[in-house]
Amino acid sequence: MSLAQKRKSKRVDCNSLCPEWGCRQPGEHDGIWVVGEMEGDGISEPSLQMLTPARTVSQKLGTFVEGVLLGADEGALRRAASEMIKRGADRATIVVGDELADHIPAVRASAIASLAEERRPDVILLAATMRGRETAPYVATALRAGITADCTQFDVDEDSGDLFMIRPPFAAILLAYIKTPSRRPQIATARPNVFPMPPRDESRDGPVELRDAAAYVKAEPRMRLIRSDVLRRDEVPLEKAEYVVAGGKGVGTREGFAALEELAKSLGGVVAGSRRAVDLGFVPHEKQVGQTGKSVRPKLYIAVGISGAAQHVIGIREAGIVVAVNSDGNAPIFKSADYGIVADWHDVLPALIREISARRTSPGEGT
Amino acid sequence: MPLNVVVGIKWVPNNQAVRFDEKTGTLIREGVTSIVNPHDLDAVELALRLKDRYGGRVTAISMSPPSATKGLEHVLGMGVDEAVLISDRAFAGADTLATGYVISRALGKLGDFDLALFGQETIDSSTAHIPAQVAGWLGLPYLYYVTDVEAVDEERRSATVRRLLEDRVDLYELSLPAVLGVAMNSNVPRPVRLSQKLRVRTENPIKTWTNDALKLDTRCTGLRGSPTIVAKSTWTPEVPRKRQILDGTPEEAVKKLVEILAKEGVI
Repeated sequence: MSLAQKRKSKRVDCNSLCPEWGCRQPGEHDGIWVVGEMEGDGISEPSLQMLTPARTVSQKLGTFVEGVLLGADEGALRRAASEMIKRGADRATIVVGDELADHIPAVRASAIASLAEERRPDVILLAATMRGRETAPYVATALRAGITADCTQFDVDEDSGDLFMIRPPFAAILLAYIKTPSRRPQIATARPNVFPMPPRDESRDGPVELRDAAAYVKAEPRMRLIRSDVLRRDEVPLEKAEYVVAGGKGVGTREGFAALEELAKSLGGVVAGSRRAVDLGFVPHEKQVGQTGKSVRPKLYIAVGISGAAQHVIGIREAGIVVAVNSDGNAPIFKSADYGIVADWHDVLPALIREISARRTSPGEGT
Repeated sequence: MPLNVVVGIKWVPNNQAVRFDEKTGTLIREGVTSIVNPHDLDAVELALRLKDRYGGRVTAISMSPPSATKGLEHVLGMGVDEAVLISDRAFAGADTLATGYVISRALGKLGDFDLALFGQETIDSSTAHIPAQVAGWLGLPYLYYVTDVEAVDEERRSATVRRLLEDRVDLYELSLPAVLGVAMNSNVPRPVRLSQKLRVRTENPIKTWTNDALKLDTRCTGLRGSPTIVAKSTWTPEVPRKRQILDGTPEEAVKKLVEILAKEGVI
């Protein structure tokens, strides 16, 4: 029996399930949804990244990938739908209505859930942006379905056709393979930058269905957005930075981070920190790299005075080149680095800043 | 307007060297010291500030093993008025859907409340699911990453709250009752006061509710009420790295490094 057949023949005895769940047969579900999040007029990059695992899993399961977008601006949603198709979705549905103009979590989530109730996708993937993390669990509860947060991999159980939603629980050393054998849809999120952007293929085309939000928004808003102000940031966000200089406990003081700032500036990058650096008040939480912080994918990651706990290095899996500077030659960070310098950072950073600045001002010299 | 605020507390292992039960795929908590999830204390602090400002009551609620009494004593020591421990074998091994279910039913039994506050996420599983799932089961408005409740309007029975996203600050008005996820590091928790702790000894303001009190269908709780299961666990595969130590004096090592980075085309 093929995996697709196994999936479609899957039935459960609903009497064994919680009566509040209602009865939905797993075998009646098909397709992999990626729920896209709009960022201004366009689709957010983390949402497009979710198409990467969606494609891989859809090929294994023998099914299609569908982009689902919600909002008030039909034109913008159509363009975003087309972008999702060019990046790997086979088709798209856009749900349009003024109810979805402002981000009201329960309203957005209830619209996603009632569309899923009608269309019965096998899998729903969402990017774990802050809004995604806020929306996804409500979708799961509305559907009385399981949800797995912050997956770092996906795979398929060859025996059952269930999705393995793979995440590091608690201590990042272990990976848990989570599945929801008796319930559909299978809902999962992944943090931004955990998966790469899928390539864009101009020739790809597919159907886009239009749905009226009024038919799907079930939750009374009971809340309203009064104001939303964009924070002016004078630098690129950590998730998008090409160069990251991260410090840990070993930097010693908040003042010590001035040297890291200078190095980041010479590279045109940003400063970040480990969990310990955040706990010690050296850097704010939004600059934390690691399991409870952010995943980054810079071309170059320089770890300064970071010991390299599993919870930290899980955040740099997608980094290009990793450089570690630590006075302790036994620090585990050197196992997760391409190049290491065993020395006090005070003796390394000034020289590194000098050398890099020299190259930046006279490109080509010395190469 | 006096507010009736409930705060969710999770009793979490404090030790990073936590073990797993390979058979069930769940955490083994025995022998590991536990603490109140640090991010929940921000929610407790916000609740207490609201009580300072508007009056009312703060009730802590925790679905945990009995050892969590210690954690509830801690937040009572901060000034929380009373606490409910929801504890039953039938609730054990719950995923977030089943946990949210039990907590939402306990909130229902607790009676009318204006705000249910939770920490942004826990340090043991960091899913950040519970506030939205409790709101989902109760059908209440909710918001995450809340840093402050700026105003409460008695006539409209609503609260104006501020929240912080990656790149923006939002101001929302929510009808009460509502569920809020409180942003990490947004409200520095006040210390435990001895006089408050003594009160815990004399008044014993901790109630325990088992499933005899909640009377929930056990198909909806614990492992049975959890759609997700841990099928297996493996070690995280390592990302292959070159692991090349650049030797010499710091100056020499830096020179080598910059040469390599230039050759690799990253600088």
